[in-house]
Amino acid sequence: MTSKIHPALIVFTVFVFIFLVGPLVIVIGSALSNTTYLTFPPQGLSLRWFENIFAISAFRRTIITSLQIAFISTFIALLIGIPAAYALNRYRIQLPGWLSTLFVLPVLVPELVLGFALLKNFAAEFSAPIFLSLIIGHTLLVLPYVVRVISASLASFDFSIEEAAISLGSPPLKTFFTILLPNVRSGVIAAFILCFITSINDVSISIFMTGPGISTLPIQILAHMEQFFDPTVASVSVLLMALTVGVMAIVERTLGLTFLAK
Amino acid sequence: MKRYSGWTLASPGTLLVVVFLIFPVLATIATTFMTPNGIFAPYISFFGSGFRRTVLWRTIQISFITTVIALAIGFLTAYVVSRAPGWLKSILIIAAVFPLLTGVVVRSFAWMIILGKNGILNSTLVSLGLIGEPMTMLYTQGAVIVAMVYLFVPLMILTLVGVLESIPDDLIQASASLGAKPSATFRQVIFPLAVPGLIVGAVLVFTGSFTAYATPQLLGGESQMVMGTLMYQQAMVIFDWVSASTIAAIMVVITIVVVLLMTRIARRLNPMAV
Amino acid sequence: MTQNLSIQSITAHYGSTKVLEDLSLEIAEGELVSLLGASGCGKTTTLRLVAGFLEPTSGKIELGGKDLTRLPAHQRNIGLVFQNYALFPHLSVAENVGFGLKQRGVSGDVKAKRVGAMLERVGLGHLADRLPGALSGGQKQRVALARALVIEPPLLMFDEPLSNLDAKLRVDMRVEIRQLQRANGTTSVYVTHDQEEAFSISDRVAIMHAGRIMQLDTPEVLYQRPANAFVARFVGFENLIPMDVVARDGAKITAEMAGGARITLSLEQFGTIPDSFILACRADGLAVTDNASVEGIPTKLGLRTYLGRAYQYQCETAAGHLLANGPLTRPLDIGANAKLVPVPEQCTILAPEPVA
Repeated sequence: MTSKIHPALIVFTVFVFIFLVGPLVIVIGSALSNTTYLTFPPQGLSLRWFENIFAISAFRRTIITSLQIAFISTFIALLIGIPAAYALNRYRIQLPGWLSTLFVLPVLVPELVLGFALLKNFAAEFSAPIFLSLIIGHTLLVLPYVVRVISASLASFDFSIEEAAISLGSPPLKTFFTILLPNVRSGVIAAFILCFITSINDVSISIFMTGPGISTLPIQILAHMEQFFDPTVASVSVLLMALTVGVMAIVERTLGLTFLAK
Repeated sequence: MKRYSGWTLASPGTLLVVVFLIFPVLATIATTFMTPNGIFAPYISFFGSGFRRTVLWRTIQISFITTVIALAIGFLTAYVVSRAPGWLKSILIIAAVFPLLTGVVVRSFAWMIILGKNGILNSTLVSLGLIGEPMTMLYTQGAVIVAMVYLFVPLMILTLVGVLESIPDDLIQASASLGAKPSATFRQVIFPLAVPGLIVGAVLVFTGSFTAYATPQLLGGESQMVMGTLMYQQAMVIFDWVSASTIAAIMVVITIVVVLLMTRIARRLNPMAV
Repeated sequence: MTQNLSIQSITAHYGSTKVLEDLSLEIAEGELVSLLGASGCGKTTTLRLVAGFLEPTSGKIELGGKDLTRLPAHQRNIGLVFQNYALFPHLSVAENVGFGLKQRGVSGDVKAKRVGAMLERVGLGHLADRLPGALSGGQKQRVALARALVIEPPLLMFDEPLSNLDAKLRVDMRVEIRQLQRANGTTSVYVTHDQEEAFSISDRVAIMHAGRIMQLDTPEVLYQRPANAFVARFVGFENLIPMDVVARDGAKITAEMAGGARITLSLEQFGTIPDSFILACRADGLAVTDNASVEGIPTKLGLRTYLGRAYQYQCETAAGHLLANGPLTRPLDIGANAKLVPVPEQCTILAPEPVA
């Protein structure tokens, strides 16, 4: 604010944001079209393509599967990621340095490779159920988010507060729930949201784990697009965007949007 | 308190990563060295194939161009965003976060609508009389790059806004007090301090593009095959798992080399590190 | 209610580093003992061992005759006041103070009454519903104190409780802490690196260094009669002069220092004097005189500074650099030859330092 920004730079920024938001507006417009092919701007308005989503059983099934997998894998990741993040911060000196590297490995290993490796050495090798394989893959996918976000919250947490509670007679496990968790609440919410969205949108792992009768929504969208290039996909996209908006609204309410910029 | 409690708490996660990530990935890579045709046979055949060399080269090319463009757009935009007044900054950040939280399939699909034969861009250009008939834009390298840039610019903006905001205001004021024009301050103070952040952003974009699947599949198709789509094809269409594993191994090695190399450079260049 | 604390031959390690070695400490009922030392001396480790956040490698800790050594921290019933207050940021002032009572099953009116009374005692009755974030440093410290006191623990421990406050508030708060501690008669351990704070507040002070207690005594004794060279330096004895007895004559001895200067000391004043010893004193334990005929340490005077009650001189001698005071009536110039005469009442005799 102190120094002025060159007008050309401002014009440039306006174009960048048009570039960012424009395509998504086009998707929304196409979803409302009443034609059988994709066009923009829409020729006439209708909601028929939204109805079509639920008319196609594959979409109905995969929406449910995707939600189930997102909830379950997020829940598991929080369950094992929060204690891990706690240990990594609280016992930093006692635990070896490679342990924290281990928890960012799922980010370092390409998702596509993780998906294929799980297929080859777990799903196919042990004929494991596809649903279970999907849960494991997605849990690994989102685990680093939990560890990273919770660690960031814990970095500003004063562990002597925990000791204060213990010295006043609160048992360690109870202290974890009554003192620690309430103070990293915003981290837990943020981690939940990031994990949920990441899982819902995942392609690279799920693509190897779909089989007869079971698939996730993004994979179903890809499959549908191979056969039909109609506004149904646009409508599903709008549904997913609505979910994102809903989630962002929750973040806004609970944490303020600047939280996302971190 | 007690030493084991740290291990106890970290063990479920550790176990999950070791059993379901490290082990399967290492086992996948190991199989490429255990074929009957000799220890490096899959790699010799990968690099011996002109088609595969082209795919690898194309992937590197696309990733590199995407990284450069995303860096340039991201840095300039992040600079403006970081200097914007509070309310506007919030709106701009929302506008960057929203695409980031929207899935890769949806975002790629948007570009299919735009770039298709009967897409918006073609129909606009035709109706303006700029071109006689629709051009082929989909399934070109350009289409893949545009969509990849679209994919990664929000990430870059958000990363760099954080980096730029961490530069203390005093430094900028000090620069001005010493007689530097805003453009000089930008070039001589802000940019050098942002370099480590730029490198981190570049690593994210490069490795992300290098291992992408959905975007090149939707916008590049068969004609613009990259490492990710080639690997999927080998694994799930042709069922040549040794070949797919070889591609996986190459992707892992390149990713790790790029990450390690660049973070080391970033650390060395960080003037604010103690 | 209040009980004595007995720390018996505690040894503790961090990983493979030994941080406490065979440390023993007896604190009587109602007594306030400070652990004083630089960072890394083991004072905070001692406190954390007693609190139960660390386990000793060997040794025993007893409170009121009951062995605490293997008892989990939350069952020890010790009131702790932390350096950074450690208030629960998500709980109100009253909830913070009531936290310990809640753990003890005290609830409803009884709890509210005890919390209210305690807040009144520390002068924060009007802030009961605030969150800690809205308090000043001094108020936070009072809440922390109230929270530790309300559970009526048999032992109170303070970990550098005043180090985050400004100088003025620090002095006020330490008086307040001492008054509350006296009124309750609670046995207390007070960890600090601030000598003035420790001396002003404590019944006895343990000066610690490298995991051991160097001396444990009342502030008066520590200040005037340090037991060894480390403590002497710590409490501000600038002059430590190694000497050897060269002659013993009834109630007097003659000792020689490096460079050959000799002085005579009376056994009546110092009790027994070993053959080899250190004469230790502050600057006011050496009097500067330009009378060349007296017995003393010859010196060439260096820089003179004005202290208000005396002049202080930087003195170069054959035994090294010394600090001495001279009368205001006779300022001496830089470069003048003079003698330094020990003032027996201000000096103490220490055993020679072991050769490192």
